[in-house]
Amino acid sequence: MLSIILLSIFGIVVLFLGFQKSKNILLPATLLCIAIAFAANFVHWNDAPGLYFKEMLFENRLTMSFSAIVLLSAFLVVALTRGFADDEAAQPAEYYAIILFSLVGAIMMIGFDNLIMLFLGVEILSVSMYVLTGSDKRNLRSNEAALKYFLMGAFATGIMLFGIALLYGATGSFNLTDIRGYVGTNSFSISTLLYVGLLLVLIGMLFKVSAAPFHFWTPDVYDGAPTVFTAFMSTIVKTAGFAAIYRLLSGSFEGIYNFWWFTLAAITILTLVVGNITAVYQQSFKRMMAYSSISHAGYLLLSLTAMTAQTPDAIVFYSLAYSLATVSAFGVLMAVAREKSVQSHENAEDFEAFNGLGKRNPLLAFVLTVSMLSLAGIPLTAGFWGKFFIFGTIVERGNLIWMLIVAILMSAVGIYYYFKVIIATYMKDGETGALRVPPFYRIVLIVSTTLTLLFGLIPKLLS
Amino acid sequence: MNYLPSDYLPIIVQLVLALGFIVITMLVTHNIGPKRNSKLKDEPFECGIEAKGDARTPISIKYFLVAILFVLFDVEVIFMYPWAVNFKKLGLFGFGEMILFMGLLLAGFYYIIKKGVLEWEK
Repeated sequence: MLSIILLSIFGIVVLFLGFQKSKNILLPATLLCIAIAFAANFVHWNDAPGLYFKEMLFENRLTMSFSAIVLLSAFLVVALTRGFADDEAAQPAEYYAIILFSLVGAIMMIGFDNLIMLFLGVEILSVSMYVLTGSDKRNLRSNEAALKYFLMGAFATGIMLFGIALLYGATGSFNLTDIRGYVGTNSFSISTLLYVGLLLVLIGMLFKVSAAPFHFWTPDVYDGAPTVFTAFMSTIVKTAGFAAIYRLLSGSFEGIYNFWWFTLAAITILTLVVGNITAVYQQSFKRMMAYSSISHAGYLLLSLTAMTAQTPDAIVFYSLAYSLATVSAFGVLMAVAREKSVQSHENAEDFEAFNGLGKRNPLLAFVLTVSMLSLAGIPLTAGFWGKFFIFGTIVERGNLIWMLIVAILMSAVGIYYYFKVIIATYMKDGETGALRVPPFYRIVLIVSTTLTLLFGLIPKLLS
Repeated sequence: MNYLPSDYLPIIVQLVLALGFIVITMLVTHNIGPKRNSKLKDEPFECGIEAKGDARTPISIKYFLVAILFVLFDVEVIFMYPWAVNFKKLGLFGFGEMILFMGLLLAGFYYIIKKGVLEWEK
């Protein structure tokens, strides 16, 4: 819980650091802030679980692991920003401050013990994301994306809030433990309001993680937002969102599993099919990654539908594998697209941007290949074990094998569009001339790739 | 805490009355009374400036900034009223919390001044 307080203070500090003449201090300062918050996150590792702030927030080893993933991916993404040095119109101090504040929201979502905190966390994270999406003020697409995201997101939050109100109406409490108690004691006379409320809250949350019937904003927003914030969005929001859904379902509503599992199963199947099939038809790498993020939301939902004892571990591992691979994929895209957009102003984010990358910069090509393999779930990468654990929870549940079959078919579809990128990288001829990448940037990419491979070889490392 | 559907009847009655009042008044005003329109009659006579051009003209962003900042700093008073009412009950803890809140708020205010948002002519 220390990390929430620290991040809030750091956010204000970074905001005021922006008034200094030199902008060079901002990037190291922000990285230092996130690193300190990361360390502070583990302060209570040994005396967990605990309740904080008048039973508003909850902390145990699981929430700490989720927070650690969020902070780690934030660290990597912030390191990829390069301080926005080559963008005249950028406001680095504000961006970093908003990122730090949004992390507060993410950690609140991960460890809420009161529905008010869930709402606050979702709002802090979402409002920050709306702003960052529209941060490229002179770009029409960025503005469009921000407005779309804001309008739809505000609607989804409204629906979620309505659901929370109904849950309060049914149980008389916002507290997860009290709601659990209500579900447990009145198992034969549960108010209809509770069912409706749960569904509305789930709709709101599933919107935030872009599950299928509520995914329409995702491609436009991911495409329009500046790439570095797309990377931020697709890792942090997703991890925090799934942690929150898991906490809600396991913390309060395990007693009525028979009510919600079918809804979640239907959404899962729809998400997997829509995400994977649509991704095949994309020309832009960023849009493909948007649909790929939808499909990964489907895999994570798969594990939530199973809701066994292994589910939390599977979600933690999968979120980590997904975040690392996504960060490195967007990192390579940024390096390639930046070079290209300087030369010509055409759309630099298509698959063709990677043509000939294998010759121009073997390191970038390797990083991209590993991240694509990890996203596709090929062995020796973290993504494989992520999928393995997720599928393991479904097998453990037993009666949901049909979902497993759909999921495996869909990951086969996934291999097609991930390999399209690898083929463009190595097989196709593109521009020649070496692509130079700053050393710091290279270190970040090497770190995330190494972690992907390390967790792929020794998945037991994380326990 | 069990409600029958019939318990919600007053809400329906209220809804029907509200809608019914609007519909009936609109119907009645449209059907009673003669309709004689002319260009001169539709103009605003002795009530304000003559209408010219489109309402959607670009307005300086400064107005929005000042308006939104006014809302931000105005709304915070909402928190101060209940705090002031319960001041004795909350004691030193409540005082500390409010100092923290005001501190954060003033940090924001300082940020705005530093950014030069309130300088009108720049």
